[in-house]
Amino acid sequence: MAATRAGPRAREIFTTLEYGPAPESHACALAWLDTQDRLLGHYVNGKWSKPEHRNSVPCQDPITGENLASCLQGQAQDVAAAVEAARTAFESWSKLPGAVRAQHLTRLAKVIQKHQRLLWTLESLVTGRAVREVRDGDVQLAQQLLHYHAVQAHTQEQALAGWEPMGVIGLILPSTFSFLEMMWRICPALAVGCTVVALVPPASPTPLLLAQLAGELGPFPGIINVISGPASLGPVLASQPGVQKVAFCGALEGGLRLLVQESVWEETMRRLQARMARLRSGRGLDGAVDMGARGAAARDLAQRYVREAQSQGAQVFQAGDVPLDSPFYPPTLVSDLPPASPCAQAEVPWPVVVASPFRTAKEALALANGTPRGSSASVWSERLGQALELGYGLRVGTVWINSHGLRDPAVPIGGCKESGSSWHGGPDGLYEYLRPSGTPARLSYLSKNLNYDTFGLAVPSTLPAGPETGPTPAPPYGLFVGGRFQAPGARSSRPIQDAFGNLHGYVAEGGAKDIRGAVEAAHQATSGWAGQSPGARTALLWALAAALERRESTLASRLERQGVELKAAKAEVELSVRRLRTWGAQAEAEGQTLQVAALRGPVLRLREPLGVLAIVCPDERPLLAFVSLLAPALAHGNTVVMVPSGACPLLALEVCQDMATLFPAGLVNVVTGDRDHLTRCLALHQDVQALWYFGSAQGSQFVEWASAGNLKPVWVSRGLPRAWEQEAEGAGPELGLRAARTKALWLPMGD
Amino acid sequence: MSTHNQGTELDLSWISKIQVNHPAVLRRAGQIQARRPVKKEWQAAWLLKAVTFIDLTTLSGDDTSCNVQRLCYKAKYPIREDLLKALNMHDKGITTAAVCVYPARVCDAVKALKAVGCDIPVASVATGFPAGQTHLKTRLEEIRLAVEDGATEIDVVISRTLVLTGQWEGSDFIKTSTGKETVNATFPVAIVMLRAIRDFFWKTGNKVGFKPAGGIRSAKDSLAWLSLVKEELGDEWLKPELFRIGASTLLSDIERQIYHHVTGRYAAYHDLPMS
Repeated sequence: MAATRAGPRAREIFTTLEYGPAPESHACALAWLDTQDRLLGHYVNGKWSKPEHRNSVPCQDPITGENLASCLQGQAQDVAAAVEAARTAFESWSKLPGAVRAQHLTRLAKVIQKHQRLLWTLESLVTGRAVREVRDGDVQLAQQLLHYHAVQAHTQEQALAGWEPMGVIGLILPSTFSFLEMMWRICPALAVGCTVVALVPPASPTPLLLAQLAGELGPFPGIINVISGPASLGPVLASQPGVQKVAFCGALEGGLRLLVQESVWEETMRRLQARMARLRSGRGLDGAVDMGARGAAARDLAQRYVREAQSQGAQVFQAGDVPLDSPFYPPTLVSDLPPASPCAQAEVPWPVVVASPFRTAKEALALANGTPRGSSASVWSERLGQALELGYGLRVGTVWINSHGLRDPAVPIGGCKESGSSWHGGPDGLYEYLRPSGTPARLSYLSKNLNYDTFGLAVPSTLPAGPETGPTPAPPYGLFVGGRFQAPGARSSRPIQDAFGNLHGYVAEGGAKDIRGAVEAAHQATSGWAGQSPGARTALLWALAAALERRESTLASRLERQGVELKAAKAEVELSVRRLRTWGAQAEAEGQTLQVAALRGPVLRLREPLGVLAIVCPDERPLLAFVSLLAPALAHGNTVVMVPSGACPLLALEVCQDMATLFPAGLVNVVTGDRDHLTRCLALHQDVQALWYFGSAQGSQFVEWASAGNLKPVWVSRGLPRAWEQEAEGAGPELGLRAARTKALWLPMGD
Repeated sequence: MSTHNQGTELDLSWISKIQVNHPAVLRRAGQIQARRPVKKEWQAAWLLKAVTFIDLTTLSGDDTSCNVQRLCYKAKYPIREDLLKALNMHDKGITTAAVCVYPARVCDAVKALKAVGCDIPVASVATGFPAGQTHLKTRLEEIRLAVEDGATEIDVVISRTLVLTGQWEGSDFIKTSTGKETVNATFPVAIVMLRAIRDFFWKTGNKVGFKPAGGIRSAKDSLAWLSLVKEELGDEWLKPELFRIGASTLLSDIERQIYHHVTGRYAAYHDLPMS
């Protein structure tokens, strides 16, 4: 018999039956860092790049504080070099057949499979997250994402005909993130033919490792480029010529809010506390812990929040097997937090759960929707009918019924409200990196002269310009708000000239108060309209089409006054009528059921109305553009506030006459006036859910800037004209995509 | 058995209110096996602990007094003495929790245990095992006879006819299955049973025991079962009065793992005594 090597502790453990450490060796992660001499630079065009004269930042183990490596702080020219590499790679990558890109993505998945231990130990080592979460979750899902998107690339020519890749995608990662978040964005971008430059905060080696694995695969080295650098390089990346889109990653999941019905409150708290007591925290690389640590900053944040909550009167429960030393923080349950206290409004940090009671499901829905955030929620109930009611009613991107945190590459994840408006994964994720074929590329021009404080602030005064001479009868004077024509708050008018310089008519001069009234009216109509059956929506759009047909001669003669030949004018009216009919027919719900590997049961991909959609119409095509934008918005269940063509709002007002008799009040509101001023009012309105702007480059820039306030989805034209008379640009699928948002509803089944 | 479940007024609403979230149970079952690895000395200690929960079982048609005797000897000396010494555990009196045999073999087991000076209980399956489809009168008589022969624990097969028609019975211990079914002890089923035990404890203060049986063959499995009970019910359930593992071949795999832990080598078949 061989020599014994048993330790002395077995006796003791036999009595206590405690858990011991189950350390995962991170030797391979250290060995990989050694291959770079513990100095990490950028990974660009398939090669490591370590430019001289750069500051460096230490990459530390967040738990022990041990220095693992130094990471370079990139500078502007590093970003430029990476974008250049991505642009060069885009030339060949985007022109490949989808099937070839699919093969390459599959090979990348295989490489990840072969080096997964390195990947998960490195990620756990530098982030402090529990290794089993990275190993069993992130790394597996990363491979699934590549496989799923390989399939999408393979079928791209048929399934995504009429769309083309945008170009170089810039990706900006926050200071705490998981490499999986990066994969959710990189995979669809690569699949459709885009190339990527990722700006990662220094001291995050996993993206660099991924880029290296991809780069060493051979023929397409420049498709993933990673620059390590401070957040201040973000604007540099965004303004590089050739960068078509900048995507932001969310940070790691924060704390949670839990709403519990009063009747089961005690029981739920008891069970929750019992379960929390069994959670184990510890070094992320320990295979037997549930929670790692996210560094001292995250700990301090949680500590501050909990102390404040306590001082505001909340009850705090902490439990679990947690090391006492820094940087660990125990899982914490906060309850009895007064709803009006500052902590109740603030974002809950990890690892804290704030529980509050509610009385009825309706109240729960109001509470859950009453926050600016909207990424995901889970509903737990044994009453399926009620759970579905809540699932449909929640204004979030993902709802899990009786489950939580499930993810699948085929199911889009995204959010609404301030949780962002972009989508990752599933069919929706692909369109984020595509544009309709033939549409011009984005110019990365940002005007330095635009003054955000004064853009559209003042309305130039207008004076009487003589009597009106348009076709009779003239449309009713006023703003079309809440189903009727109302006098503008400013009580003044603006003259509209025709193509020959004569006065065509006067329209009301709308202002901030009129926009406020219009948005309010639109909000009142939202639930009624969204609740209509698709058939009812179709009927209404078709009724409007018929009414416009009857009004054809007036509309055509007004177009003539704007310099359109009679034949062309008639054709434009006819096309407008057709647009209403086409979108009306598409009003049938367009959701679908997705199949996923992770669970038995369906995932529903719902297409829900955005809410109140504001549309600033282009000056050109005063009738066709107005109708082409209105129809998809209504077909998808939105209520709208529209600013019609500034050059000739009279055509829109003609249409309003029919809408006044046909449509429920507030469904469509049309405000005339100074475009820049009205645009400013709409963009700065926090309760407008989305904004489409067709106008100048300056206006577009302002809209994007101002809408960042509530992260409303915007669609801007940047001063580029649009071919409204053509199918692709005037009635293409892009409009439908923009007019609704996706929600994924997970419905696990089992007896 | 420490204290008997004195029983409570039958309240069927407790049962009718129970809802099982099947996908969530499956997920939890997967997690328990992945999240609580036990290594090195901890593994050795846990495995020895697992030995003390085993109802060392032989339930074969061809059981005779000879193999029952061998079983009882193994129950008394489950792990080779030198291995225990190496772990400094030789004086802990480690035995299995009980031996479990058919009613007709209870006599043999009692006699054999007495002969080796071992005071562990003899458990007997009774009541028309494994189907339970015999008359109530013969089932009761079977229990009486087994007890007369010296069995101190009886694994009663409940009448599944009654269960499937919603007529429930109470007990001191609940067992996953007879071990003779095509599917026996699985983690998802165990989670549901353990939660029921916990709910009953919260409602009445009575602790009901738990015995998974059938298909638990590897040392690794037994560790997962221990952590499952630890996670769901807590350490207070980790004692032979409240937790048993019904198994016949598990013990030899545990012994092999202990051998490996102590020596750093994998044991040959002939290195360990058979039961």
